[in-house]
Amino acid sequence: MISGSNLEHILTSGGFAVTGELGPPKNGDYEHVAQKAKILKGYVDAVNITDCQTAIVRMSSFAAGLITMADGLEVVMQMTCRDRNRIAMQADILGASALGVKNLLCLTGDHQKFGNHPQAKGVFDMDSIQLLSMAKGMRDDKKFQSGEEIKFHEPKLFLGCAANPFADPFEFRPKRLAKKIEAGASFVQTQIIYNLEKFKKFMEMVRDLGLDEKCYILAGVTPPKSVGMARYMKNNVPGLDVPDEIIERLKGAKDAKEEGINIAVDIINEVRQIPGVKGVHIMAIEWESAVPEIVKRAKLDPRPEPKIERPPLISAGASREVLELTVKNAVDSARAEIMNDAQKIKNEAEKAKELLNREKAILNNEIAALKAQIFELNKNNLDKENNIKDLNTEISRLNTELSSVRIGTSEVTVIQEVVTQQKTEEFIWGGEMTQREQFVLDSISSGLDSLRKALGLNEDQFEAIKKFLQAQFILYSSMAPTASVSPAVSAPAITSQPAVTPLPEIKSEPVVSPEEEAKKKQLTNLIAKANVCFHKNDIKGAISSFEEALAIDSGDLRAKEGLLKAKSMLPAKEEEPVKPAPSAQTGQLLPPCPPELTPEEWQKKWVIRYVGIGNVCLARGDRQGAIEAFNNALKLDPQNEKALKYLKTAESASVTSLKMPETIEKPLEAIKTEPIAETKKTEEKKPEPVSVPLQVKSEQVVSKPAPPLEKAPIDTATGELPKETQPLLSRVGKINPSLFTEKYSGIVKGVKFGDGAKALVVGEEATMPFNVFEGDMNNPPAIAFEVMDTAPEDWPETLSKYYSDVLNDPVSWAKKCVGEYNARAICLSLVSTDPNGMNKTSKEGAQIAKNVIEAVDVPVVIWGCGNAEKDTETLREITGIVQNKRIVMAPVTDANYRSLGASAMGMDLPVVAATPIDVNLAKQLNILLNNLGLPLNNILMDPSIGAVGYGLEYTYSVMERIRLAALSGGDDKLSAPFICHLGREVWKTKECKLPTDEKLGDQETRGIMLEAITAATLLLAGGELMIMRHPKAVSLVNSLIKGLM
Amino acid sequence: MIIANRKPVKEILNMINGVSRALILGCRGCVAVCSTGGEKEVSILASALKLGRKQRNQPVEIDELTYVRQCDTEYLEPLKELGKRYDAVLSMACGVGVNLIAETCPDVKIFPAVNTTFYGANTKSGEWKEMCAGCGACGVHNLGGFCPVARCAKNLLNGPCGGSVGGRCEVNPDTPCVWHMIYNKMSKFDESKNLSKIMPAKDWRPAGHAGPRYRKREDLKA
Repeated sequence: MISGSNLEHILTSGGFAVTGELGPPKNGDYEHVAQKAKILKGYVDAVNITDCQTAIVRMSSFAAGLITMADGLEVVMQMTCRDRNRIAMQADILGASALGVKNLLCLTGDHQKFGNHPQAKGVFDMDSIQLLSMAKGMRDDKKFQSGEEIKFHEPKLFLGCAANPFADPFEFRPKRLAKKIEAGASFVQTQIIYNLEKFKKFMEMVRDLGLDEKCYILAGVTPPKSVGMARYMKNNVPGLDVPDEIIERLKGAKDAKEEGINIAVDIINEVRQIPGVKGVHIMAIEWESAVPEIVKRAKLDPRPEPKIERPPLISAGASREVLELTVKNAVDSARAEIMNDAQKIKNEAEKAKELLNREKAILNNEIAALKAQIFELNKNNLDKENNIKDLNTEISRLNTELSSVRIGTSEVTVIQEVVTQQKTEEFIWGGEMTQREQFVLDSISSGLDSLRKALGLNEDQFEAIKKFLQAQFILYSSMAPTASVSPAVSAPAITSQPAVTPLPEIKSEPVVSPEEEAKKKQLTNLIAKANVCFHKNDIKGAISSFEEALAIDSGDLRAKEGLLKAKSMLPAKEEEPVKPAPSAQTGQLLPPCPPELTPEEWQKKWVIRYVGIGNVCLARGDRQGAIEAFNNALKLDPQNEKALKYLKTAESASVTSLKMPETIEKPLEAIKTEPIAETKKTEEKKPEPVSVPLQVKSEQVVSKPAPPLEKAPIDTATGELPKETQPLLSRVGKINPSLFTEKYSGIVKGVKFGDGAKALVVGEEATMPFNVFEGDMNNPPAIAFEVMDTAPEDWPETLSKYYSDVLNDPVSWAKKCVGEYNARAICLSLVSTDPNGMNKTSKEGAQIAKNVIEAVDVPVVIWGCGNAEKDTETLREITGIVQNKRIVMAPVTDANYRSLGASAMGMDLPVVAATPIDVNLAKQLNILLNNLGLPLNNILMDPSIGAVGYGLEYTYSVMERIRLAALSGGDDKLSAPFICHLGREVWKTKECKLPTDEKLGDQETRGIMLEAITAATLLLAGGELMIMRHPKAVSLVNSLIKGLM
Repeated sequence: MIIANRKPVKEILNMINGVSRALILGCRGCVAVCSTGGEKEVSILASALKLGRKQRNQPVEIDELTYVRQCDTEYLEPLKELGKRYDAVLSMACGVGVNLIAETCPDVKIFPAVNTTFYGANTKSGEWKEMCAGCGACGVHNLGGFCPVARCAKNLLNGPCGGSVGGRCEVNPDTPCVWHMIYNKMSKFDESKNLSKIMPAKDWRPAGHAGPRYRKREDLKA
């Protein structure tokens, strides 16, 4: 006998040992440990107390072991080398021995990285084998590790170790076990066994080395609690081998826990058959209650009664029984106290309930009284209703009579007053539009209908009046009589209608006489209702409710405020028919103004529309129609120059008919029609080019004359592509999405540039371009207009005419791009700094850049002249002057990446990494920049671009390969977005420069299409930021992007 | 060689806050070889700092200088006077250089611009690996030439632990298990039986746990 422990006793006497495991709590709760110990007691011969397993702080194994022993259960104290050096470990061994611990399991310990204090310094002064040696030396040689003698009371511990049969190298594992046995281990507890085949092989090797004779091997068993736990152990615990059949078994089971217990029992039965296995170590992790069941089912119970020494400190002071009694008493007294408190609270609650009931009764009485009053009033109303009916009949009769007579003012007044009174009462009781009111309205309508005939008004005028009266009906239904109604009716005969005065008897009649309280309630209801209307954009409804509220209490501030607010919203809607002099005709020419526009805008729109109609008529040769349309336009706006001019043209006989474009429906063809219009222009004096009102927003319809002659906005608008409304997945029908979708592991990073509201982000994609059914494309590709710092000499006239007024001034140029062509970004090309060209100094270049950057609010890319040295100077100069604007610096090449990269890093600016069409060079430059410290989300890649017919296909395939590498090749160094400087490539081609001829067609169209198609191709290859020149090409590409997103 | 990492520019900027004249001092020793503190890196850091300070609206005057070694007093001699002209000297050498300057140039205010990380090898371009811990008592002749003190997360001398799976370390699966390497190497020379001997607990005194280490050679003393 070494230590005389129960475990040692069973093993040495040839018994089959069962050990369990108890994980101490992450707190100082004595009971927690005691409860777990109680569960295990009688079913295991000893229980392992873990020492902060997986490096998570828990109650020390020493203390938890003592608590367990106090319950009459033998412990195997675990000790790791992670947290203590040899001094502390020896001290604990002495202490444990003194307090009756007899078994010690020596472990190296899980690395602190896996625990809840990964920052901790791991001690690892020794390893498990050295710890075993040390403990054995203390016991057998009576020496500390240093060699110093232990004179008496050496710690007599039964030493154990762990072994993992499933770790690598497999063939070395038994040899390492041999080392542990040699170092001092008398028993071994193995890692959890699920793979029995491998364990059998391990045991075979162990037997070959004769180790089964030298120590007692206990097989580790853990009941899997769930499929999830089994999977976790399989995938996340290194050195644990969970075969799939175990997972399948759990998956197939009705009750996973039950099946987990069965698995454990099966494994125990299997390992018992293996020669050399002398026991099992059951680790039911946080599931101690499973242990008794497993032991019973494996027919390992009852366990022999242990002879256990209780730890002197605990067993001498308070035995468990005394402790339990004290606890019970404490619990009883606490319970009594709580019951007492509960009773008190219950009594109070009942009293409160009574009080509440009384209050309820009082309120019910009040409500009944109010109801009676309401009934009374309703009865009154009924009488009045009858009166009103009579009155209405009278009115309709009168109206019929009036059909041949001009209308006087008093009748209208009557109508309104009747309505007013009706409305007042109705709304005071919160009623909605009732049948009665509808009837009144109908009467008015029929009356007005007659009126219309009498006055010879047309449909629109009449509609306006009708609508207006309806508005009045609600608006003035309960307002104080001071309100003027006169501007309301726009029929010429009644423009000067006096203010409405309600009939005296109606006014004096006490319409409502409920109590003050009821009145207040009404008031609140009305204001609330008004606010609801207001928020629903029903301004009229809001006004009427506010006014009713005011009628109840004219001093109510909330209502007054609300009314003012609502009214301020109203004019926009109401003014329209109130237009002076020409307004009668206006009414006819202008349909009602939609709420999102002001009347002025609406009128302007229609002027434009009439001019457009006129032009269309002119083009068709319909002179009469044209004159009429232009006249209409002039009626709305007599000052309109265009209308005047074209009216003259139309009236003069010299009009030749303009051909209508036949392809209006196809937006992409809009461009095509342009040259036709322009050629006509040279023949005629100044024709309005035919615009396409069907496809283009009406504001943009006003199209351009030749730019140098007159400063008018150029029509660059392109129609929208029809969007696919149905998502792809619903269109493919039964085809399995896995057949046509690709999964990507990488993403393209986003690069943000510019500042403020117009800052742009490009990139942030998780899919190939526009394959939005496969992944997200967070930002649509963007287009930057190229601005030259000096007037370009090689631009064809078909391009430069769009900038003819600004060619010499980059600032105005940039402003024009933003203001007229809606540029979202600008790319300033500093070509003048080229040492082989104008060779402007870096300072000059920087000054130009600064002026441009400050003049526009959109993001700016600064593109150097391409000479690495000069660009370094210029761009560094610029970063010095321009602060806090996230400009993009371009191009950065392998020749100047160090200095420019450092500048960019210092200022946190994005750069363009330019490489000559090559995947590896692009990656290399990204890596170099990245190593400098420039993050990838500050890099845009310029893979070098060729135009259609000038190497575009090469560019395309390089870009595609880069993108595929980033998305599915896991190559994050290529995950930057692309910038494509394509304008300069396209516009230097001969296709853009050759004049118009029959074979090649129109020169400008050719250039536009070349630029647009190049851009479209690059977009499909993955391009995120396009630098372009021709406004029409930009417009085309923008509509393509919109259509594809 | 000693491997170092440049500190982030932001950290350095914060360090030299308020400094108006600074000297960045490189070293042509290890830090130049591992591309952290040589002449090139000095000029990159200088540009970055100037710009960074400009952005903070506190321009700074920065001079650049690189010594043969900063871990030798004789090379530091000129710095004693020169260093006085600066509010700060930013050393891009390893911690040894910084300490030696602090010790030998009492009038110089010295700051570290790099983090000294480990003794490592340049295994391939742009990659360095820790290979030695300088524990003062080398015993790798018993271990196939591999050092578990530097390369095992638990400093095991009787490994591999149960977390060694497929030749990988459980603490960081990107790292090979050094004990697996030891076992393979020893097996190759048919010496794996040597691993069955128990390696005794290590004496950590030469590793620095007995106070700063010091070496003296009488024969070389001037």
